[in-house]
Amino acid sequence: MKILLSWLRDYIDIQVPPQKIADALLMAGIEVEAIHEPGKHLRKVVVGQVLTRDKHPNADKLSLCTVDVGTGTPLQIVCGAPNHQAGDKVPTALVGAVLPSGFEIRVAKIRGVESSGMLCSKKELGISDDHSGLYILPPDAKVGEDIVKTLGMDDVTFEISVTPNRGDVLSHLGIARDLSALFNLPLHRNSLDEATGEDDVRALTSVTLDEPDLCPRYGARLVRDVEVGESPRWLKDRLEKVGIRSINSVVDITNYVMLDIGHPMHAFDFDRLAGHRIVVRRAAPGEKLQSLDAVHRTLDPSMLVIADAQKPVAIAGVMGGEETGVTTTTRNVLLEAACFDPVCIRKTAKTLGMMSDSSYRFERGTNIDNVPIALNLAARLIKDLAGGRPAAGLIDAFPAPPPLKRILLRTRRVARVLGIDLKPAQIETLLLRLKFEVTRNGEEIWVGVPPFRHDIDQEADLIEEVARLYGYEHIPVTLPALFSQPVLPTPLQKLVRRTRDYLVDQGFHEIISYSFIPASIPPILREGPPLPLKNPLSDEQAHLRTSLLWGMIDALTRNIFSDEYELRFFETGRVFQPDASGFTREADRLCLGCCGPANPVDWRHSREPFDLFRLKGLLSRIGALVPTDLEFARGTHPALHPARQFEVTMGNRRLGVVGQIHPQLRTNKKIPEDWFVAELDLTALAAAKPARRLMQPIPEFPAIRRDLAILLPKTGSYQAVRQIVQEAGGEILEKCTLFDIYEGKGIDPDRRSLALGLTFRAKDRTLKDEEIQPRVDAMVKKITERLQGKLRD
Amino acid sequence: MSDQSEILWNQFEEERRQAASSKDAEALRVKYLGKKGPVSALLKNLGALPPDQRKAAGEAINRLKARLEESVEALMQEWSGREEEAKLKTDLPDPSLPGTALPLGTLHPVTQIGLEVAAIFVSMGFFLAEGPEAEDEYYNFEALNVPKHHPARDMQDTFYLENGQVLRTQTSPVQIRTMETIKPPFKMVALGKVYRRDSDITHSPMFSQMEGLVVGENVTMADLKGTLAAFAEKMFGKRLTRFRASYFPFTEPSAEMDVQCIFCEGKGCRVCKNTGWMEILGCGMVNPRVFEAVKYDPEKYTGFAFGMGIERMAMQRFGIHDIRLLFNSDVRFLRQF
Ligand SMILES: [Zn+2]
Repeated sequence: MKILLSWLRDYIDIQVPPQKIADALLMAGIEVEAIHEPGKHLRKVVVGQVLTRDKHPNADKLSLCTVDVGTGTPLQIVCGAPNHQAGDKVPTALVGAVLPSGFEIRVAKIRGVESSGMLCSKKELGISDDHSGLYILPPDAKVGEDIVKTLGMDDVTFEISVTPNRGDVLSHLGIARDLSALFNLPLHRNSLDEATGEDDVRALTSVTLDEPDLCPRYGARLVRDVEVGESPRWLKDRLEKVGIRSINSVVDITNYVMLDIGHPMHAFDFDRLAGHRIVVRRAAPGEKLQSLDAVHRTLDPSMLVIADAQKPVAIAGVMGGEETGVTTTTRNVLLEAACFDPVCIRKTAKTLGMMSDSSYRFERGTNIDNVPIALNLAARLIKDLAGGRPAAGLIDAFPAPPPLKRILLRTRRVARVLGIDLKPAQIETLLLRLKFEVTRNGEEIWVGVPPFRHDIDQEADLIEEVARLYGYEHIPVTLPALFSQPVLPTPLQKLVRRTRDYLVDQGFHEIISYSFIPASIPPILREGPPLPLKNPLSDEQAHLRTSLLWGMIDALTRNIFSDEYELRFFETGRVFQPDASGFTREADRLCLGCCGPANPVDWRHSREPFDLFRLKGLLSRIGALVPTDLEFARGTHPALHPARQFEVTMGNRRLGVVGQIHPQLRTNKKIPEDWFVAELDLTALAAAKPARRLMQPIPEFPAIRRDLAILLPKTGSYQAVRQIVQEAGGEILEKCTLFDIYEGKGIDPDRRSLALGLTFRAKDRTLKDEEIQPRVDAMVKKITERLQGKLRD
Repeated sequence: MSDQSEILWNQFEEERRQAASSKDAEALRVKYLGKKGPVSALLKNLGALPPDQRKAAGEAINRLKARLEESVEALMQEWSGREEEAKLKTDLPDPSLPGTALPLGTLHPVTQIGLEVAAIFVSMGFFLAEGPEAEDEYYNFEALNVPKHHPARDMQDTFYLENGQVLRTQTSPVQIRTMETIKPPFKMVALGKVYRRDSDITHSPMFSQMEGLVVGENVTMADLKGTLAAFAEKMFGKRLTRFRASYFPFTEPSAEMDVQCIFCEGKGCRVCKNTGWMEILGCGMVNPRVFEAVKYDPEKYTGFAFGMGIERMAMQRFGIHDIRLLFNSDVRFLRQF
């Protein structure tokens, strides 16, 4: 919303610099986004009158002018413009002037002739891009006057953004009212004409109010024999400066009243109203209206309309109808000022997708007392500017005037909430400045809320008003004196934190991908049906993710397309799935994605690629953070390579997957074949009961190490070998390490060799070889019998 | 000392000074203290002396011998020490060759700032709470004093799910969920993703917020100012802060906290749109209506709440101009942090 300083001064005699006004409003909760002072950078440019215009003696395209600038001594100025003649009035920059471009005017010799000033185009004044010639001013411009004043550029425009609670400041009066409180200046109200005129309006028209709940007050005034035409310059000027297009005098006046006192109005062509009367009612189902923006609207009974005897003529509080609008052919004008229910207006505007300046204000609440004031103000302006004859009186359908809202303010409560000790009398003064009605009884103040303050509903709202005017900057700075119970991080919070740190240590970069996924993701990446958004921004963001895999694969793919092939990514985030009743069930998951070498490329290491077991290792370590043991088995995830994937479980619970991405998802040759992902349910993992750790004594007796190389069929499982080793090793087997796997040359092609390092130790004695050998023999025997393995020679 | 001893010593000293290795030291030892050396010769000659001089001469020779032994030993140690050290210093590694540990990864800049903000509040006794991202309308709006069809809903364009839930537009519903489960006094913060239907270079449909809530029997707006100013000092360094009036349905009075621009120190620049201030957070005293919604006695308890966007702080901190970079997962961007 734009606010003019000159317009504010209709109400308040404020003389502080514009920046101070903006700062005060800002601190009080009314944000000034910009201040426009078009004349600020224009000094020493005045209205000059060209007295003579001759050819420059030394240059064809230049002219030599004498210019009267009101000082008595005409200036000699050389000029290159083609469009001026003797007698024209033009903006003249005097010596010493600095134009908005930064150009400074000095006495100069141009082609041998002295020039003391410059005649200006619109572009040189910074008004527009027009540089076709000089800006020829109207003949009535005063010679010698500062151009800033002549062109009305001395006005200041504030661009203001208003929070939704402050419907009361959506006008010049409203802003002036807050300024009068902030600067403690009196607020002038224009004296208003009575609703006088010829013939009683009640004999000429009528208003039937069917829906007083949706329209608590409807007022109308009639002005006849109006000559609708162009608005006078000053009115057009004000409207233009606040960004409203001038239409015709009557429409301009209704807009002017809205911007002036904040009350939206409408004007009907009285002669086009069937039955010459108004009915305020709900729309009938399917009823139609062509609104002023030339769109055909279909209405329904949730909407309030202004109708004549036959049909709707306006969508109440939102927009008028095309057919009954005021045009230059209109003779008789029926003015409407009313109050409508904010919720009804908002719903209607939303349903029809049409927000107007009017609906915007009604949604935020208007001043019910302004109905007659707006009507009388508009009627007087029409009479003055468009020559109409107002009918006497006004129609005021106002079945139930609301009582004044009264709220009790306890001054002790002010201190308790704000932490400042204001005296009751001080509080009273602050409230009076804000135009509240105040009755004080010791420490209790009964506050009457004026009808324009719809945001004041309870004691806390009044406390805010006191604080706002007192100034937040004057509230002291303390720290809360309260003891709060210790609350520790949850297991999930701890796990997420440690997991992130661990993965960063392992060279992974954290990514954050959107919680939205496209509707069109490959079905194999869907984990059950996703929850759809009702109003997505695009098809690309139509569903909520059910897994982090799609985002990870997408991130890998996009990086590979930018020629980045060494990637290690992780993400922790929520996934969303519908529960049995369709509501959202959320869980935190971890996702890993990588491709390229597992070791950093440096001058020492070989480029070992990532493989399944590297990722398995990482996941196991993350399990160890809980600490718990994760188990791995063959997996069946459709988005992963059918052979190169494992399912991750804990107990009987499936926690995730790890594997090579299915070749089907390798949509481009640029993508390497061995790219991997893993996903783990952190919520479930964090819920694991951590294994209890009890100290074991430090061993006192030496250990014995035995190595065992076993040739195992390739289909055999290491887990089975381990189980046998543990069984046969018994309580003296301290550790079993798999330290090599070999297959290939020198070995049966159906087998692989597993090299195990066994450590034996007893708690109470030094072990002897004879004690161990039988156990190792038993291991070999069982492995041979049960697993068709054999000892490697 | 006898003249002979004196001459011998001086001669030894001369040679000792020229010794340049443990080998030289050994040669000196053999030369002077060996069986065929001058000391042995002197000792052998003792018998030729008259008996009354023998004792004194013998003592003099032994003193000389001891001195020589000590000096040779010292020389020996000095040179063998030097030689050993010189031996260690052969095959010098090039200190400019890169080390070969696994390079570190990075935490996402938003995570980094989120953790930093959280750590400041945790150090002031706040605990970290969590809540769902897909919320019931009640928690996101009604309980926070935003009725249906209220213009305040325009402040945040909301994503709705087909099942009637909303994606939370703010972390404030965590306030409600926290108050429904615990009793005052407490101080909590909640960090998490929020969603608004808005997308351009400064707005993302998904971003992160940190929410805070303090409730107790005598919590005042002065406490709010003190707590948040303390936070700002830790986060942005010692610089001016200001609180100005604002509007949030769930706080009353409401305020915005600005911090003096970290780029221009308040003089005005492009980042702060020439105001000299950066908007950091919204805050206010908890609206009694919110306490009523969670069945806290608004006469007994007061409190304050605040909320801030993490992305904006990350963008300021790292000089990121396009918010979309944060969610593009581009490794060329991520590895910079
Ligand atoms: Zn700045």
